[in-house]
Amino acid sequence: MAVSFRSVANGILVVVLLGIPVLLLRASAKDPHEMGAFDRAIRRIGAPLEAAVSYSTGMLGGFFERWVLQARLQDANEELAAENRELRQRMRDLVQLEEDNTELRRALQMRDRVPEDMIPAERVGVDQSPFFRVVNIRIDRGRGISQPGMAVLAADGVVGRVDKTFDDYSDVMLVTDARSKIAVEVARNHAQGILLGHSEDACVVDVSKDYDVQVGDVVQTSGVDELFPKGHPVGQVTDIELLVGDQQRLHVRPTVRFDRLDVMWLVLAAAPEADPRAEVGASLAQARGLVPVR
Amino acid sequence: MLRGFTYLIVGWLLIAVTGGIADVLGLSIVLPATSAVVIAHAAFTGERSVVAGLALAVSLGYIEDLHQGAPVGTLSLAAAVTFLILHWAAGRFAVRGWAMRGLVGVVAVILLDLATVAVLFVMADKFGVRKPALLSMLLEMRWHAIATALVAPPVWALFDRAFMWFRLDARPHSDLHLDIR
Repeated sequence: MAVSFRSVANGILVVVLLGIPVLLLRASAKDPHEMGAFDRAIRRIGAPLEAAVSYSTGMLGGFFERWVLQARLQDANEELAAENRELRQRMRDLVQLEEDNTELRRALQMRDRVPEDMIPAERVGVDQSPFFRVVNIRIDRGRGISQPGMAVLAADGVVGRVDKTFDDYSDVMLVTDARSKIAVEVARNHAQGILLGHSEDACVVDVSKDYDVQVGDVVQTSGVDELFPKGHPVGQVTDIELLVGDQQRLHVRPTVRFDRLDVMWLVLAAAPEADPRAEVGASLAQARGLVPVR
Repeated sequence: MLRGFTYLIVGWLLIAVTGGIADVLGLSIVLPATSAVVIAHAAFTGERSVVAGLALAVSLGYIEDLHQGAPVGTLSLAAAVTFLILHWAAGRFAVRGWAMRGLVGVVAVILLDLATVAVLFVMADKFGVRKPALLSMLLEMRWHAIATALVAPPVWALFDRAFMWFRLDARPHSDLHLDIR
């Protein structure tokens, strides 16, 4: 069998190539202090290569490390953002709860403060009319109780009066409605007049020029119309307009914020007359450290 | 020549990437031997000349030696032996499909690990290696094999695609046992 030169050359090259690792192994196995020139040359050639390998691994490792770190940071960021959203939502809920709580406490306090016989009602809607200013209320277990003309109060003052009733539901005409007329007086000097609805957030009342009225004076119900009990705040004077003759026109801003109304009170009957035989100066029971909630 | 250079560069990058990922993720045992897959690919699909393939295996083994901190020459020799065996097998078996590529990767890594342990066993006294420790290394070979089986098909496909892009696929179309599709 003839052996070609190419086969022989390949065989020699294979042996040489296999010999290289053997020589490398031999150099590795030698004591560093007993190395010959050949072994030292092998080590010298390998040193920069080893540095290059270490550098490439370190560089790629650093790249992956940054990548993983960035991914972890992103995960942490998303978790924190979700937690933040949840906490913000809870905070909004708590603020809403606090407002509701305050509103309910004020309503309860009003129930204790006002001597008239009243029944609570909750606002269920607002009629969207450019001409009439009306809110819809619902009275729990109030079927047949509510009657047109009944006064409606809130913790801040007078809301209006019942216009129409449908079972448990009633429409309340606000004091700002153009149809509304309420007998009022200026609290400071008892200048009396009829309060008329004027615009979305204003009413007017004409009083005699004989009374000194100032901007900021409180206007309250006078009780003369026998619809509204006496002494409930209606609004504050915001402007005074002198009319021809002996009248002056007071522009009054209602004390009640109608857009924030939740709980109202329907006045069922006027307060009973004071008992003249009641003991004068009778001391009240001690509150035992409890104070009204503000 | 360019094909061998591509094997070497990509093989080096794969070693570095594996090392980098292992460092970041804290892996030490379940690491693939990408060099074994590169050598298997070279043996089965490309390097029909033993000399060129052997040179590639020795070079890649040398890089592995430096990378792994093994006594220089250990993995060079093991890779050379592995290539020779795979080259012999390439004349007798065909590799088609992902499963076969994974299997060839497993065979290659087992050969590489056995050859490495054999070299270390022979040189144990010189290198001061405890022989019982080499036996425990053999037990951990299974994790090495599993990891390599997982990466072998994508690495194989990577080389196929790279050679196709760079028009370095020198196989004759009639060469059935080298089919890569």
